[in-house]
Amino acid sequence: MKNAEKIEIDRRYCKGCMLCKYICPCDVFEPGQTRSDLDYLMPQPIRIENCRVCGLCESNCPDMVLTVFAKEKRKENQ
Amino acid sequence: MNPLGEKYLRKEFLPFLFCPGCGDGMIVQAFLQAVDDLGCIDDLALTAGIGCSAWIGVYMNVDILKVLHGRAIPAAIGLKATQPSRKVVTFTGDGDCLAIGGNHLLHAARRNIDMTVVMVNNQIYAMTGGQVAPSTVVGSKTQTTPYGNIEKQLDGCKIALAAGATMVSRWSTAHLKPLIKTFKNALNHKGFSYIEIMSQCPVQTGRYLLGSGSPQFNLQWLKDHCVKEEDPSRWLEVESQGKIPVGDFLRIEQPEFMEEVQRMNQRVKEEQGKGGDR
Repeated sequence: MKNAEKIEIDRRYCKGCMLCKYICPCDVFEPGQTRSDLDYLMPQPIRIENCRVCGLCESNCPDMVLTVFAKEKRKENQ
Repeated sequence: MNPLGEKYLRKEFLPFLFCPGCGDGMIVQAFLQAVDDLGCIDDLALTAGIGCSAWIGVYMNVDILKVLHGRAIPAAIGLKATQPSRKVVTFTGDGDCLAIGGNHLLHAARRNIDMTVVMVNNQIYAMTGGQVAPSTVVGSKTQTTPYGNIEKQLDGCKIALAAGATMVSRWSTAHLKPLIKTFKNALNHKGFSYIEIMSQCPVQTGRYLLGSGSPQFNLQWLKDHCVKEEDPSRWLEVESQGKIPVGDFLRIEQPEFMEEVQRMNQRVKEEQGKGGDR
């Protein structure tokens, strides 16, 4: 199963619509207290350990600001 | 900015002018995903009229003609006539395509010109402040129909089918995966493709027609109300329940207009070469 290493939200363009929070099946996002450059409250990926890198938040973000970086698989036979 | 945006958007025009939670941004991304999968960005040429959805194409780093209100389809026809090798795509809204540009839609579909019309339907004139549109549902209260809309709504897909379009589909922003597939089919289709996308407009449609300005509520409304039904004989039943039929309705091959023009020119030249000059 894939895990996420990092979820990046571009603070220059985020409009805080929270569709990522709504669409996420793993309950990764919560409304945060930091404001984007456009003065909207941004979501925070606070439960990143739940993320399964399904890409739904990326494809449903209306401002294309979300990027999910998957963890690279460990080589087991080393 | 996600990798798709980094690759294909015009950075100098960002951020998008769309309101928070607008479906138009999702359509930008879905279209760019389809273009990226096909690798046809250099062949594209876009046209757009006026309205929120006409801005979809402006953010992509592609040649675009932004023209008068309702005249995106004639501009696309001209573009296709002079540059037949380009894949011409028109981004238009429900007001642009069904109201002021309705006549152009009919005749472009009738002639089966090789182009794709992406009609984004948010059921209202959103950019100008929420006036009634031809696609507004009967009974809706808008800025210009404060006692409820008494006019029947116009169904773009039925018009395109009746006018002779050779590819007709309708999806919503809650159906992004099938929408990307339909974009790919439309870009490869030889003939007139009409794709209608039901899109959420939390600020106008949401607040005045549906009762909530929350983007989440509006997307859920689309999920609940758009039902996959590709058989036109069952549309009346679906619509009587207040639902919207979505799906890939038609995809057939028919002679394309620009090819027919070239064939006619060739035939006339040959006839004149034989001495039949009149």
